[in-house]
Amino acid sequence: MIRTALRHHAPTELAEAVALLDSHAERAAVLGGGTMLVPRLTRGELDLDHVIDLRRLGLGTATVTDGRVRVGARATYANLLAAPAFPGTAQLLQRVAGGITGGPQIRCQGTVCGSAAYANPSTEVPAALVALDATMHLHGPGGARTAPAAAFFLDAYKVDLRRGELLTGVTVAARPARLGYCKLKLAEGSWPIATAAAVLPPAGAADHAPGYRGAVVTLGAISTRPIKLDLAPVLDDAGRLPGDADVDEWVAARIGEPWEDELAPGGYRRMVAGAVLRRALHRAHEENR
Amino acid sequence: MTEPASEPVPERDVAMTVNGRARRVRCEDRHLLVEVLREQLRLKGTHAGCLNGDCGACTVELDGQPVKSCLVLAAAAEGAEITTLEGVAQGGELDPVQQAFWDHDGFQCGFCLPGQIFATRWLLARDADPADTAIREALAGNLCRCTGYQSIVESVRAAAAGLRGEMGSGEVGSGVTPG
Repeated sequence: MIRTALRHHAPTELAEAVALLDSHAERAAVLGGGTMLVPRLTRGELDLDHVIDLRRLGLGTATVTDGRVRVGARATYANLLAAPAFPGTAQLLQRVAGGITGGPQIRCQGTVCGSAAYANPSTEVPAALVALDATMHLHGPGGARTAPAAAFFLDAYKVDLRRGELLTGVTVAARPARLGYCKLKLAEGSWPIATAAAVLPPAGAADHAPGYRGAVVTLGAISTRPIKLDLAPVLDDAGRLPGDADVDEWVAARIGEPWEDELAPGGYRRMVAGAVLRRALHRAHEENR
Repeated sequence: MTEPASEPVPERDVAMTVNGRARRVRCEDRHLLVEVLREQLRLKGTHAGCLNGDCGACTVELDGQPVKSCLVLAAAAEGAEITTLEGVAQGGELDPVQQAFWDHDGFQCGFCLPGQIFATRWLLARDADPADTAIREALAGNLCRCTGYQSIVESVRAAAAGLRGEMGSGEVGSGVTPG
């Protein structure tokens, strides 16, 4: 059981949620799906007095409007999977949602925004949002603001949320592209060791076909923050990648300090990053023939 | 991590519908749904396992969706419709998924059964004829410490076939494995 004298709040207005968060500062946390927060409270890893439950704020939908996908803070992975197929690059969100570890129970509970706000490096959402150039919607005592995903993820478990601020949703512009995704994990029930999302220009785009020119690959779970790599510097004049060993070396040199946890040491993550990147690129070509 | 003795632990009344019956419980804000179901409502079919969201033994349906009740604060379930394993059978008859698990030995000690049953119901509601990969993927959020996975997968296959009408209604509950 949770041993702290926790108080549960379920505000019905965003301003009320922000005021609660602001007034209780470090003694409060936002409750989205609960898959990260609640077990940490149970294990005694967090010592809080207040949880601010987003359930009644009407943020539980994932919608497509004018080629943009908006995911509310309370939208679960199951909500994303139940929505009509996302267009263009945004389909990466549904692909990620369908592969979230933990079976249907976790997909019905966990949220994209909760995972983003928690920023565990060994999860898929941060890198997916960076790959998609997502816009993070934040609301705090000073009102609403936005931040690009690449700037939102600051470090392991650290995001750009100021005092009293909460993440209300993310928006992704669905661009036409070829998309390839690869996730390396030990087993179906295991968290990722490495992910790679390849976003290539659409097939036939005059300046880019047929090679990888214009390709961007974002690596996840490899470092404390997602790593976005423009492949242009490594391509030859014909837009082709060099050999596997050269790609591996080029990728490894861009990782810096790799992330390590109980699933894999940093050296292993550095070693497999190139292979995962190449698989994502290969899939981007194969799946979009 | 000890609570201040001078401050009362916040508590509240929570109204929810459990297995079709309106219930009101008095609980502390820090109580998990699994604790309230087991200790206050005495619904022991919901098992407290890892309390970490890994094992699935505490699975219930909350507003029609399978969730791990160790990850839900009871206070957050205000107004929810909850089905526990006790509420799956209707009128004293096992539902087709339960019956298939019974017929095909889809359990040994039974501790993981809530997660296996609810995950199967979720799967079959969306995919009437799931491939083995889909079955295994749907069950991935549940740990069977008896390692009875093979018979669990066979139970899901049989439940799917039964619900598709590929076996007569008598066969689904007959205890006889076709073929």
